[in-house]
Amino acid sequence: MSEPAIRIKNLTKDFRIGVRGVKLRAVDNVSLEIGDNQIFGLLGPNGCGKSTTMKILLGLLEPTKGECSIYGINSHSVKSRLNVGFLPEAPYFYKFLSGRELVRFYARVCGVPKSEISDRTEDVLTLVSMQNAAHRRVGTYSKGMLQRIGIAQAVVHDPKLIVLDEPTAGVDPIGSHAIAELIIALKERGKTVMLCSHLLAQVEGLCDRVAIMSRGKLVLEGGVDELLEKEDQRSLIIRDFNPQAQAEIEAVLAKYGSKLDKVEAPRISLDRLFLENTDGAAIGSGQDVNDKEDA
Amino acid sequence: MNGSSFARLLLIARNTFLEAVRQKFFNVLVVLSIAMIASANFFRQFDFGSSELKFIADFGMGAVLLFGSILSVVVTAQLFFSEIENRTALTMLAKPVHRWEFITGKFLGVFLVLMAFVSLMLFLLAAVLYWRESNLMTYPRYADDFANGRIVNYTGILQLVFSELFKFGLLAAVTLFIASFSNTNLYTVIISFFVMIICQLQYIARDSWSDLDNPILRGIVWMLSLLFPNLQMFNVGEQLVFPTEQVTLSMGGYIGLLGYGAIYIAVLLGLSAYTFRRREI
Repeated sequence: MSEPAIRIKNLTKDFRIGVRGVKLRAVDNVSLEIGDNQIFGLLGPNGCGKSTTMKILLGLLEPTKGECSIYGINSHSVKSRLNVGFLPEAPYFYKFLSGRELVRFYARVCGVPKSEISDRTEDVLTLVSMQNAAHRRVGTYSKGMLQRIGIAQAVVHDPKLIVLDEPTAGVDPIGSHAIAELIIALKERGKTVMLCSHLLAQVEGLCDRVAIMSRGKLVLEGGVDELLEKEDQRSLIIRDFNPQAQAEIEAVLAKYGSKLDKVEAPRISLDRLFLENTDGAAIGSGQDVNDKEDA
Repeated sequence: MNGSSFARLLLIARNTFLEAVRQKFFNVLVVLSIAMIASANFFRQFDFGSSELKFIADFGMGAVLLFGSILSVVVTAQLFFSEIENRTALTMLAKPVHRWEFITGKFLGVFLVLMAFVSLMLFLLAAVLYWRESNLMTYPRYADDFANGRIVNYTGILQLVFSELFKFGLLAAVTLFIASFSNTNLYTVIISFFVMIICQLQYIARDSWSDLDNPILRGIVWMLSLLFPNLQMFNVGEQLVFPTEQVTLSMGGYIGLLGYGAIYIAVLLGLSAYTFRRREI
């Protein structure tokens, strides 16, 4: 049996918050397994321990108790991070580098062979639709562009697992939509994606499985469909609905012991309405204008 | 596909160097230092004769010491905390990068900055000295002073580049060690300057150690003198630039001095890597 992408076992993390040995338990005995080639959402309110769990997983924090492994390699080991790409919350990169230089830099840090660096860089810049802005300095990027260049640096070494902390925080709906499509594209390339997000509607549409944390504990975990589905209810979407047919439908349902609860017109989401009425192709990448054209 | 540690060290060092030279602080400091050394030209109005060269050299080396010390402490602290505060360290350390590689790479980057600074400053000082010495040699009234040729030892200035570099490197390593466990940039800078003063005045403790009768006190002072490197040992400018039979530094002594600096730098980097290993990012 192959190793899961992530295995977290009885993980506990305490932070010292006072001089008298007072401690804050940020993560409390969390156990979790995330299988390969899934999009997994780790949800919860601010301060519930999501980011701490992610940081322990990435070896940035030491656990107080328990252990984590990535594809069977303990998170303590630097080797475990060979197969991981990480996008931190509100990423901040070296402002003095251009987008292309930044991706190349991280490719080299991750040990991508020299002969492959250029191809990989262009490949991921295309994946995140940043090839037209890649020559600009990172300091000039909008939030959405920063997130996308952040995803590019996270996947340039072709990792199997990608960890995204609030990938759509502060990004407009167009940018969020682009990032969501990117995450789906990563899954189609065979990657496992673990993400933290507060945009629950987006998580619902994206994730195969979710876990909810509260006060450091894991309170719920499972497949999105199985958690959200009301098992004893179904909805029918009827085209060219005739109100006169409603009585007959109710009679048929009563014959089988069922009951019509509610009749309502299906609605599209506000996100969808926004996307349909804005130019989704111009995802915040701006345009280069030279002085002569301006004049 | 992990690449070598050496390649990662060089990458981090190169990035740190680039970040430093693109900071206004570095550029302002370089311009100030150049202005200070170039201003030594005005000493010719005092008509010191051959002593003028010594005055110019002292003034120039003083400028290198002052600005080099500021650069070593401030730039090291700044470059380290910019990674922590801007959370670029988070992205970097989530990659297959060892923490000791990060710390050593940062140090090497700062060392490159210091090398560029010291080389530029001492090259400028050598140029000013050469130009002024050539002028003075044409005056008949100073003919006796230059009877045996030039007074300034320009090879010594080249040697001075490395001894100054190791001195500032040591100071940068001290700063990096303090930064590895402290929480703020300001705290690191203040404590580093205090340590620098202790290291500069450490010879006083060494002198008093030799006069002490109490073996316990002698032991404590001896331990302290080992704990803080003796920066006075690096004040070899006069021996290198104006060597005489009485005042000179042998090649063995010079190599020993560089070795002394290298050992302290290696130990401090080891300690920095150890304390940074468990730091929560």
